[in-house]
Amino acid sequence: MKTFFRISGALLYCLFSISISWADGIQVDKVYHPYVLANERELEWRLTSRQNDDGNVLAQRFAYGHAVSEYWTIEGYIVGERDDTGDFGLQAYEIEVRWMLTDQGELWADWGMLFELEKQHKEDTFEFTSGLLFEKEFTRTSLTINALLVYEWGTNIQNEFETEFRLKYRYRYLPALQPSIEIYTGEDFIGIGPGFMGIHRYEGQKQLKWELAFIAGLNGDSKDHTLRFALEYEF
Amino acid sequence: MNKSVNKVVGGTALCFGLFCQSLLAAVAEYQVQLKDHLFFPSQITIPANQKVKLVIHNQDDTPEEFDSFSLNRDKVIFANNKATIFIGPLQPGEYDFFGEYNPNTARGTVIVEHQKQKAADAN
Repeated sequence: MKTFFRISGALLYCLFSISISWADGIQVDKVYHPYVLANERELEWRLTSRQNDDGNVLAQRFAYGHAVSEYWTIEGYIVGERDDTGDFGLQAYEIEVRWMLTDQGELWADWGMLFELEKQHKEDTFEFTSGLLFEKEFTRTSLTINALLVYEWGTNIQNEFETEFRLKYRYRYLPALQPSIEIYTGEDFIGIGPGFMGIHRYEGQKQLKWELAFIAGLNGDSKDHTLRFALEYEF
Repeated sequence: MNKSVNKVVGGTALCFGLFCQSLLAAVAEYQVQLKDHLFFPSQITIPANQKVKLVIHNQDDTPEEFDSFSLNRDKVIFANNKATIFIGPLQPGEYDFFGEYNPNTARGTVIVEHQKQKAADAN
């Protein structure tokens, strides 16, 4: 029954968040799985490069994560971005918590929740993200969906709610190669493109995961491409 | 706007219904022991197209991590503790699993077979 109440609460929260508003801007980023592995620690590097009519935006994230129980994991990020003058520097700090609501395969689908708090470096600008993580297996394929609610506030920006939607449909072909289709939506942005991920195992819990995706924006700009790449070393 | 809201409410209700159904459905349990970094039994036969529950009792003084790419499962079993792993519904076939900390010894296979009909058994 504990699981019942957890999922009921999460669904109601998701319904509430979807009815509020839609996101501005673009968030081509990781599509989160709703799973936590006990004892796991990880180092992560993510790179996102977006090219559109306004030029190129490059962002990198460095993170350290640690599972604090069978169901909860915490990860801290340092975010770097290239600014308008072409200099690459520290942009933000972020702390993220993931909560695995159900055991894998326990229910018709697997559920989790995500909470993130981000602060811009040297600016009084904050962002709090929360949302529902969903994954469903269909034989050798997996559908992963993230429905996120974002609240931004600060002295230099307008306080507002946004929503984001991310989807990945993955074919578990081989551990080292799992092709997928990824879809991202927000206000004024719909992006779709191919993705790939893979895992290379070392001894014990040590493994290296990689992800690569090339997302084309379908929102009317003559040019809008985003390349995202991530490496995760789990130990 | 109303149509969109209706779709969201309908979709959520459907998910909720499927979720409740899955909570109520009985799931067959299979007990597995892990001792001296070996799974007993190491071959587990389960029926096709049914969800089952593997309850793995780790009798060793060290943790183990159940891992299977073909079953799409990854779970830590703490020392002198037990863990529940839900698998299926699966198509007939063989699905290998292993313990990440002792991959040379802790190995096993889930064999998925069509259940023989009761009438056939009676004959």
